[in-house]
Amino acid sequence: MVEAALKAIADPRRQDILVIVHENELSAGDIASRFDITRPAISQHLRVLVDTGLVSMRRDGTRRLYKARPEGLEEIRAFLDQFWGRSLDLLKKAAEQEQQGESDEHTDHSG
Amino acid sequence: MSTQTIVVEREVRVSASPETIFPFLIDPEKIVRWKGTDAMLDPRPGGIYRVNVAGKNMARGEFVEVTPNSKVVSTWGWEGDEEVPPGSSTVEMSLTPDGDETIVRLRHTDLPTKESAAKHTMGWDHYMSRLAVAAPGGDAGEDPMMNMDM
Repeated sequence: MVEAALKAIADPRRQDILVIVHENELSAGDIASRFDITRPAISQHLRVLVDTGLVSMRRDGTRRLYKARPEGLEEIRAFLDQFWGRSLDLLKKAAEQEQQGESDEHTDHSG
Repeated sequence: MSTQTIVVEREVRVSASPETIFPFLIDPEKIVRWKGTDAMLDPRPGGIYRVNVAGKNMARGEFVEVTPNSKVVSTWGWEGDEEVPPGSSTVEMSLTPDGDETIVRLRHTDLPTKESAAKHTMGWDHYMSRLAVAAPGGDAGEDPMMNMDM
């Protein structure tokens, strides 16, 4: 889920959509009018954003209204925070081993 | 317009010199010891940055800045069923020596960025103001933004 959301958020067009539905709840038509791409393409982007929990959708009569879902972004942030925490721990371990190896080599040569 | 941005900042203190750590940021054989399973890296501005993360997701981007033993900035996007171009996400890693140790700082900004929000607001306000001038029969003049990379 988070991986899908990461991909969803990595698309520049979807980033733009997220920005404009951040404060205002908008219909697909409102959103499409601000872009120079086709309505079906906008719908496709909106579906991805809704499926990954980044945007919520509500029906109002025949209209579908979209709004950013801050919890979705928070989930991604938490995932990345954990991901980088683990990665940096591994980096620390690998680099310290390397440094240790170099010191040992140095000791061997001088010894 | 206020905006939402994902920013992840972390730092770790490593008992090694920047000279020892730096290759782990730019050398394909060393980067996989802490990140991803295989990598293709061309560490110079504009050079390719491609790391297979978690075995199935290929992160692809470009190096933006490579300052030996000090700083690496790269962008990434995703390859796969749906192609997402690089540049949407930026990772900056810096190395600051502190005695016998080095502080490794990571800053990952994922989007939407302030820039994208600003770009949007700017474009929108610009056209709204032009509309206001043009609507009552006035001449809005040549669009000064025509040649701008928006």
